Amino acid sequence: MVTPEQVREYIINGLECEKLEVVGDGEHFEALVVSAAFIGKSRVQRHQTVYAALGERMREEVHALSMKTLTPEEWAATGG
Amino acid sequence: MDTKERIQQTVTGHPVVLFMKGTPDFPMCGFSASAVQILDTCGVKALHTVNVLDDPEVRQGIKDYANWPTIPQLYVNGEFVGGSDIMKEMYQSGELQKLLEEKA
Repeated sequence: MVTPEQVREYIINGLECEKLEVVGDGEHFEALVVSAAFIGKSRVQRHQTVYAALGERMREEVHALSMKTLTPEEWAATGG
Repeated sequence: MDTKERIQQTVTGHPVVLFMKGTPDFPMCGFSASAVQILDTCGVKALHTVNVLDDPEVRQGIKDYANWPTIPQLYVNGEFVGGSDIMKEMYQSGELQKLLEEKA
């Protein structure tokens, strides 16, 4: 069983994040990802960036991952 | 015809295509159910759905096709729009309704 902490570690090893929160029950996870790597990218490209950081684990260990992907500027605008 | 060609033919042959687990009446996954509901709320009439649980080749092939590891996947006029998170965000901001009105 994968823990949210492990998912967090997988993502952060492959993607520099300003802020990263992961919650989940071992199969379904939710992540808030704030990264400067998202600047100028579409939503699809942002999610692909996170999926790429997870690599094969996304297919094997993580059944579902809901994501909010924001740039630092967008995150600041939400009052975060 | 290989799987990629089959997928391409499906997404270009219908204005709105949703690859999902199960069917609109009997979705087999919460994310697929939510995707169908959003499209229904947007008033999409000509929705074409593909049940990936019926077709292991498409189930794997669709992940490679869009470089996207999860299902559901929405295509409008042959273009990949996103999965359930993106559909929800685009619906909430009104972008999805606009896209469907313009293109579908």
